[in-house]
Amino acid sequence: MIWLHWYLLVALLLFCIGLYGLVQRRSLIGMLIALELMLAAVSLNVVAITSLSGRSSSVGQVVALILIGVAAAEGAIALSLFVAIQREVQSIDVEDLSELKG
Amino acid sequence: MNWDAFLFGASAALALVGAAFAVGLKNIFHNILGFALALIGVAGLFLTLGSDFLAIVLLLVYVGALGIAMVYAVMLSQPLDTPRAPRSLPKIAGAALLAAVVAMALWLVIRGAHFPPMEGVLEVTPEKMGRRLLSNYVLAFELISILLVIAMMGAVMVARKDRGGTGPAAPKAAP
Repeated sequence: MIWLHWYLLVALLLFCIGLYGLVQRRSLIGMLIALELMLAAVSLNVVAITSLSGRSSSVGQVVALILIGVAAAEGAIALSLFVAIQREVQSIDVEDLSELKG
Repeated sequence: MNWDAFLFGASAALALVGAAFAVGLKNIFHNILGFALALIGVAGLFLTLGSDFLAIVLLLVYVGALGIAMVYAVMLSQPLDTPRAPRSLPKIAGAALLAAVVAMALWLVIRGAHFPPMEGVLEVTPEKMGRRLLSNYVLAFELISILLVIAMMGAVMVARKDRGGTGPAAPKAAP
């Protein structure tokens, strides 16, 4: 195992913990937390590969910055949607959000 | 080298334990604290990769802003002490199985991949990062700013109480 593999392994575990949480949780906020974990794992991957290769590592950092910015925007929109959903349905449990289920 | 390895191990352990807390615990508030712990660990990993600026931004945006926003959302939504029906065991097992299969597949991909020879960490100081962001990568910088402004306005619009009531068309509709 080279040194890079350790970083990729940590990112892989983070990603899969996030995936498990996204599938298993029922609270919308819990699912958002799991999703953000997956995004953080992806940016860790990008930074690890570009930074350890030693060449042009600022490209990877810019990509990770964009990822962080998009994740922040997504989190803000998602949280405000949760507040709106809570106002309509009085719950943010995904199993209560079944209005479109035929 | 030894110090690097220690920092890496501690950060990785922090990240994984925090992630386990973030998805494993029942209380949503504890989940948010675990999420913050995991992101602190990831910021430590960024430090070992020589990207100080990114580590600071990660701490500010995720642990600072997003964590606080999540706490607000929890306080605005459900009562914390409502009893919830336990998740059925087959569904938990299915989720764990899915995650394990994806992990195995990704690990096989990582083992099979041929990476270029690694030349060691090249440190990117915050100063260099700032110069790059305002010269070579200024488009990415501006796009992030526009995206964040739009997201902020959208969040305010969506979460507002009287949605659609005070738009430009509202005065005509009102008596």
